Amino acid sequence: MQFVLLQAVLLPLLLSPLAYYLGRKSGPTAAALFSFGLLLYCTVLVIVPVLSGSYEEHYKWTQLFGEFGLLLDGLASPFAIIIYLVSTVLALFSKPYMVARITTMFEERMSSEKQLVGGGTEMIESSSLKSHLNHQIGAYYALFLVMAMGMLGTVLATNLIEFYVFFEVMLIPAFFMLALWGYESRRRVALLFFFWTHVGAVILLLGFLSIGLSVGSFNYADIKTHGIPPHVLALAAVAIIVGLTVKMASFVVHMWLPHVYRASPTPLNALSSGAMLGVGAYGLFRLIIMLMPGQYEHFALALNIWGLITMIYGGIMALVQDDIRKLFAYSSISQMGYILFGIGSASVLGLSGSEMMFVSHSLGKVILFMMVGAIILQVGTRSITKMGGLAGKMPITAVCAMIGALTLMGVPPTSGFMAEWTMFYGALQTAIQQGSMIRMVTFGLGLVATVITMAYVLWMIKRVFFGKLPENLEKTKEANWYVTGPMMVLAGFSVVIGIYPDVFFNQIIPFMKGLVGV
Amino acid sequence: MAILPFDLISGLGDLRVWAIWILPFAAALIIPAFGKVSKRSTGWVAVAFALASAISAVTLLPGALGNHEIHNQIPWISSIGLKAGVLADPLAVIMSNVVAWISFLIFVYSTGYMKGDKDLTRFFFWMAFFLGSMQLIVLSDNFLQLFFGWEGVGLASYALVGFWYKDKKKDHVGIEGRHVLGLMDYYSPTHSGMKAFIMTKVGDVMMLAGMFLIFAFAGTFGFRELTANTSWATAMAAQHLLIPAAVLLFGGAIGKSAQFPLNEWLLEAMTGPTAVSALIHAATMVKAGVFLVARLAPLFFALAAIGINMDQFFEIIAWVGAITALLLATQGMVHPEIKKVLAYSTGSQIGYMMMALGVAGLSKQFVDGYTAGFFHLISHAMFKASLFMAAGSILHIVGSRFMTDMGGLRKYMKKTYAFMWAAGLGLMGAPFITTGFWSKDAIFAAVYQSGNTWAIPIFAIAVITAVITAFYTTRMIGLVFFGNKSKHVEEMEKEGHHVHEASPSMWIPYGILAVLTIGVGVMGLAFEHQIHDLFVNYLGSTFGIKSNIETVAMDSQPLLGGFLQGVNPVALMASLAAFAIGFGLGYIFYIGRFVDPVKFVNSNIFFYAIHKFFLNRWYLNALIYWGFVVAPLYVARGLYKYFENFVLEGFNVVPEKTMAGGARIMQATQTGVSQSYLYIFGVGILIVVFLLLI
Repeated sequence: MQFVLLQAVLLPLLLSPLAYYLGRKSGPTAAALFSFGLLLYCTVLVIVPVLSGSYEEHYKWTQLFGEFGLLLDGLASPFAIIIYLVSTVLALFSKPYMVARITTMFEERMSSEKQLVGGGTEMIESSSLKSHLNHQIGAYYALFLVMAMGMLGTVLATNLIEFYVFFEVMLIPAFFMLALWGYESRRRVALLFFFWTHVGAVILLLGFLSIGLSVGSFNYADIKTHGIPPHVLALAAVAIIVGLTVKMASFVVHMWLPHVYRASPTPLNALSSGAMLGVGAYGLFRLIIMLMPGQYEHFALALNIWGLITMIYGGIMALVQDDIRKLFAYSSISQMGYILFGIGSASVLGLSGSEMMFVSHSLGKVILFMMVGAIILQVGTRSITKMGGLAGKMPITAVCAMIGALTLMGVPPTSGFMAEWTMFYGALQTAIQQGSMIRMVTFGLGLVATVITMAYVLWMIKRVFFGKLPENLEKTKEANWYVTGPMMVLAGFSVVIGIYPDVFFNQIIPFMKGLVGV
Repeated sequence: MAILPFDLISGLGDLRVWAIWILPFAAALIIPAFGKVSKRSTGWVAVAFALASAISAVTLLPGALGNHEIHNQIPWISSIGLKAGVLADPLAVIMSNVVAWISFLIFVYSTGYMKGDKDLTRFFFWMAFFLGSMQLIVLSDNFLQLFFGWEGVGLASYALVGFWYKDKKKDHVGIEGRHVLGLMDYYSPTHSGMKAFIMTKVGDVMMLAGMFLIFAFAGTFGFRELTANTSWATAMAAQHLLIPAAVLLFGGAIGKSAQFPLNEWLLEAMTGPTAVSALIHAATMVKAGVFLVARLAPLFFALAAIGINMDQFFEIIAWVGAITALLLATQGMVHPEIKKVLAYSTGSQIGYMMMALGVAGLSKQFVDGYTAGFFHLISHAMFKASLFMAAGSILHIVGSRFMTDMGGLRKYMKKTYAFMWAAGLGLMGAPFITTGFWSKDAIFAAVYQSGNTWAIPIFAIAVITAVITAFYTTRMIGLVFFGNKSKHVEEMEKEGHHVHEASPSMWIPYGILAVLTIGVGVMGLAFEHQIHDLFVNYLGSTFGIKSNIETVAMDSQPLLGGFLQGVNPVALMASLAAFAIGFGLGYIFYIGRFVDPVKFVNSNIFFYAIHKFFLNRWYLNALIYWGFVVAPLYVARGLYKYFENFVLEGFNVVPEKTMAGGARIMQATQTGVSQSYLYIFGVGILIVVFLLLI
């Protein structure tokens, strides 16, 4: 087994022009199936080494930055598997959604141009729509593949600079996808997104440089063995925490997220919520807890409280949204709060639960975003008040959405429960061990937050799927299998992991034990 | 009794225990496939699997009656060292049989009741899923696995309460247009399902916290492991965490069993199909809380042996039970909807069970209260399921949920009439012939004899509640079956819909349970002694709780000869009096109809106020809505509008405007006019020169 991870990381990048070419030449289906097949292959490449435990690859890079390594250990593997799994199924889901989106945008532009020029262009229109569509969908899939590989690279990196490069690589395609196929005021929001994430990234880079220059190496392993000089420790820790919590959209630095989610095309929402936000959490595990355990002890309680505030605040905001995408935007903020809460728990099970929370949130939220996509495709509205009674019209979507909702609420037998119980238990354990009243209170309020989560999720389900069907939705049909298939796959995963969590716990828990030193 | 299939199943050994809960889940998995072929077949699949599960359960009975325990474990989350397992001790086996057989009967009833519904597949999927989850609760050997069942039944309850998800008017509960404290007292099925799920979740969250606290000290979720080594309890007691943990666990039971203050969801849960109300919201799921307490109470009580006093915990249970019993019974007296009356009654009767279990922990003779509570659970499961199913067939035929729309039905539905009397007498506690009498009497006796400081007030509440219970049951039967036909029924008949008896698949199930209520009732005392003896052995061998058999004989004088041997005379007199007063009052108003209840209530401002207070649910529901729904949403909207979209939005707007403004200034300098550049250039030179000169 050589070059396995290198293939998994680089193939999507190298073959992304091919995706573009295929899309342009043979249309959306070819591009979608190619991307799906490629990502599926790469997912298998990521899963295979995990079966035999920890695995790493090293390659020569520049003298200046250190080596280019790819590491798949107990921490990275759940992140890596989920990122690629989600990307794979979203490659399928993207097809109907993006075809519809590009067509609508084309028609809108045509009709506005027609008003300027005058009629009589139908013939040209139909042929140019096809070539326009093929061209655009090719570009979409090329960007999609690059974004997926950027996220995977970040997670597998063994070197600060490598981390940073991949971290940026995943932002740029997202920026273009938003700017090209977004909704109202997409260009402004794309700039907003770019601005926020780059402010975050630059702060992060500041932390990286201060560590790398003072230690003399950017490799994690070297930093771990040499230790970081105390005079840069606090600065680096704060810079990294701030940089990554911007990515995770924690309370106060979350302001980019609702706008971006409102304006993004749904597959990007799903990819971003299901995988990209979690990369921030991964960074906290890898860079703070692993590389700076001393600083972690120092900041753990603050992270815990910050997470608590985020989860409650996000939940409250989600309660009062009417745009279904904004609802899930705030829900994502809230769920990232859960992960941050777990990261601050300072115990083996708390940290394991927090990582499991990423897995579970990805599965649940991607299902729910696919539901949003299905509804936008089939119903054409994003306003919850205009929906209702859709369960009878879209039964498969409704069932899958319910499983996604249960995952989010942490109801067994979904993966959400496994994540939440270990995470909250871990928080309680630390509270008892330290005899800390504050931690006891955050534990209790954390449980209260789960009730808020339940409230907004169930209320959303009720307003979308139950009640009286509005008359204009009488003809709504079930979404096609590009949408329902991926939903069912993820729903199945959620239940399997919920009943048999060892699938991931077997990797996560031994790693966390080593990390916390029990 | 050795019949061949029985032996065959017994030969499966421990697998039988697993089969009890796995079979219904298997049914749930295959039901959608059957539904594709024929919707009606789904009902038969569910019935067949429920029967198989019930047979599996009944094979365990002989062993359980001999105080034999099956405990079987398999690896589960090995990375944390947790195991999954089943525990079939006498408590679990009896409960499991009650659940299995009543579910089986209700499944049969459902095939008739739900006939023609276009979502049969979904209905039976959730019914089977529910049964599997419920048996999982009963048979789990540890908290974590129990919690899977616990949430599973909650989920099934959510799905089935909101089964008619289109929220048609006829599926609502409450009276349209009626307001309490400015909030409408009228709920749609999907709203009710959500309310049920969220309110029970509040309890579940408390239960989780309690579980975690215990796990943190004991390192295990297993019930038997917790009993075997009690060092965790000593450690927790030292940090004053034991009683909070126990009370938090009880919080789960409060939510699930609809006890005060989380009782309000049960009333709205009546939007579900009546089969669901009978199964989930009367006979089984709401008993899960009682079962949990029955699982845990001996564990905590046994801690007295190592010097840990759990009195506060048991006092809370007893008082919550007593308050709920009275609170819900009073409301049951005044409501016009038949299912809601039964729902109030259910909550109230569960209050009795909690009261008994709580009092058990406060008395020297733990087993008395324990037996009484559990006996009442069994007898209530029988008569309440029967009452609900009977009420369901009446609703089905009359087409209205209001008792005022019924009346005079006894001539047309003779079987239902008879069975409803039988089961109703059980609920009222009619002397000597019903299970309800004996189980309620056992509770009275246990409370009265407990010797606790709270014994007398709790006893008084119990007796008052019994009076009210007898009254509202008589009222229900009187309103439905006596008097003249209501306008609604007359109109129906004009349209050609005649009131008729329910179909056999419907009346046979509730007939069986009604007959059992009387049949077991006749032998009630012997039945009770049987359970009592079993629990004496069980509590003694498993938890080391010694029971002094002598005290029973000592406390009670022989009365009416050998028949009532071992019955407490005070409790007996109280039961008789309560039945007589309640039934008598009910008879005057609703069967004999000597006094018009409406005129009576309106005759006096005091009665009017009390009536309104009860009808408005003691304002508890409205206050909960104001405090936990309306006000928080108001705050959330304000927060969103003014904080999120104004204060925090500044993070986006300020940099944007600053940059745009900066750009505009920069832009202004780039005029492209040579003169102005030259002018600036000249000024610059002058300044430099000037600076050099200085």
